[in-house]
Amino acid sequence: MSAHEHADGHLPHEPEKATLEGRNKVLGFWLFLGAETVLFGTLFAAFIALRHQTLDGPTADHLFELPMVFAATMILLFSSLTSVFAVQAMHRHQTKPMVLWLIVTILLGLCFLGLEIYEFNTYVSEGHQFSTSAFSSSFYTLVGFHGAHVAFGVLWIGLLIAQIFKKGLTVVTAPKIYVSAIYWHFIDVVWVFIFTVVYLMGKVG
Amino acid sequence: MASNHSASSGEETRRHRAEGPQKHIVAFVMSLALTIIAFAAVAAGEINQTFTYIILVGMAILQVFVQMAFWMHMKDRGHLFPIFGILFGIVVVFTMVIMALYWVWW
Repeated sequence: MSAHEHADGHLPHEPEKATLEGRNKVLGFWLFLGAETVLFGTLFAAFIALRHQTLDGPTADHLFELPMVFAATMILLFSSLTSVFAVQAMHRHQTKPMVLWLIVTILLGLCFLGLEIYEFNTYVSEGHQFSTSAFSSSFYTLVGFHGAHVAFGVLWIGLLIAQIFKKGLTVVTAPKIYVSAIYWHFIDVVWVFIFTVVYLMGKVG
Repeated sequence: MASNHSASSGEETRRHRAEGPQKHIVAFVMSLALTIIAFAAVAAGEINQTFTYIILVGMAILQVFVQMAFWMHMKDRGHLFPIFGILFGIVVVFTMVIMALYWVWW
């Protein structure tokens, strides 16, 4: 292991909570997630309020296709599972499986982004552009913000993997992995509300 | 388990090792089931609209509870402050959504 070993020469069982800095990082991240909840809440509020204001543009029922949304949901749900496997591997101090699970998580995140880009592209070709209606603006803002969070998560976890290769699993790098996994689950939780409120309720009417 | 650990460290690890992959797979299957119920309720298309809304919101809230409790470790010890943090966010969100709906719709 690297120079940042625990005092007794071994990583503790939960290396992310071994130092005060690590515990503070986790707590601070939760407060950040509280703020993120508010950010997404405002976007949801705007979308729910405006979702029937379609002007001359296509309606939600006309645009959305359930199989594609279901595929995106499954991809994100699987990636949430693989990121929790990464944290479990970290708790067992197995760096290699941890990195592998993180890579799987990133790949699933990229699949999700690819599907979302394809989806937006289809919508635009059907005349559903950002400025078509209040519905389209609030839709692209909400779902696009979520997509941006996925893209940021992919970048972040990618950089963490690079850091793990450089520094190994220590009490300094472990909190970062743990916190990024919580972030990834949070993205999945937000997606639960997006597929419910935007897509399924859009289909219902 | 890595075998290069000293006896004390191994014991320490074993004491904490109750957390296996099983409960996360259970959480995954529960999320999967809740998702499929929600999609099926819409895809069936024969259910009363108000009732479908209730199903959808119910499934979403259940799934968020499952994921936050298991995957975000909120049911673990020492998560009082994180719960306060996220609850504060949720309170603000509900205020905001209700405000926006009241403002725009009525």
